[in-house]
Amino acid sequence: MLREFAIADTCFLIDWARFRRRDIIFKVFRTVFIPESVIREVVSENTISWISKWLAKRGLSLYTESADELEEARLLVVRTRRIPQIIPVDVPEALCLVVGRKYGYVVLTENRGAIMATEVIEELSNVKVWRSLELLVEAVKSGVLKVDCDNPEKVFREYMEDTLHIFPRNDYSKAVAEVVRICKKRR
Amino acid sequence: MFSKRLKKILSENEEAKRIRASLADWVFINSQPPRIREALKYYIETGDMYVASRIANLTVEEFNEYRIRARIPNVA
Repeated sequence: MLREFAIADTCFLIDWARFRRRDIIFKVFRTVFIPESVIREVVSENTISWISKWLAKRGLSLYTESADELEEARLLVVRTRRIPQIIPVDVPEALCLVVGRKYGYVVLTENRGAIMATEVIEELSNVKVWRSLELLVEAVKSGVLKVDCDNPEKVFREYMEDTLHIFPRNDYSKAVAEVVRICKKRR
Repeated sequence: MFSKRLKKILSENEEAKRIRASLADWVFINSQPPRIREALKYYIETGDMYVASRIANLTVEEFNEYRIRARIPNVA
């Protein structure tokens, strides 16, 4: 089933745009919001043309933050820096967390600090944070990403090759096991 | 306050740092001008692409190209 909305930070989107099956994101979400800062951070023709095309097709939508949201994001940065045991966030991912909490959007980021913030800061505990790994698993689950059940790792390997990405061992094993489970169910 | 999940993330963070450092092309990194070189080293240490790009005085996507040329994986 198509989910409604997500908001992606720059680091997530720039890597995702290199993935050979990058368009599946628009079969998982109706619209992915991108903060205005994302546009300023892309320079390659490949990424700019992909973003422009999907802005026109309404798969992507520009998110213009309000002054209040930006201030809230700045306060969140400071809060995470007051907890020495966690990885602090910076303004780009903090803004996505603020918007994700406010509107219930899934936050797409690879930033570990953002994931930790949802564990430690109570107001963020309901925010769903997905990395590319969770997005790939969701795409397989919902059937928008076809997998080769004889080679359940293939889909993840493709992403890792295209983006020079390595998924953490335990999470990767769990994701592959999930794909195997889905394949067994479908047989 | 610190759940098992948080401890897991912190321990994965250390593992990620080791992976980035061990797979990086240090010859390439050390041959770069100071800003790029230090930004790549910062990225290896932290995995934080946004701040690394600011150190390099590049956009995030430009920095990401250097990351790939330096064979530093994004471990996340």
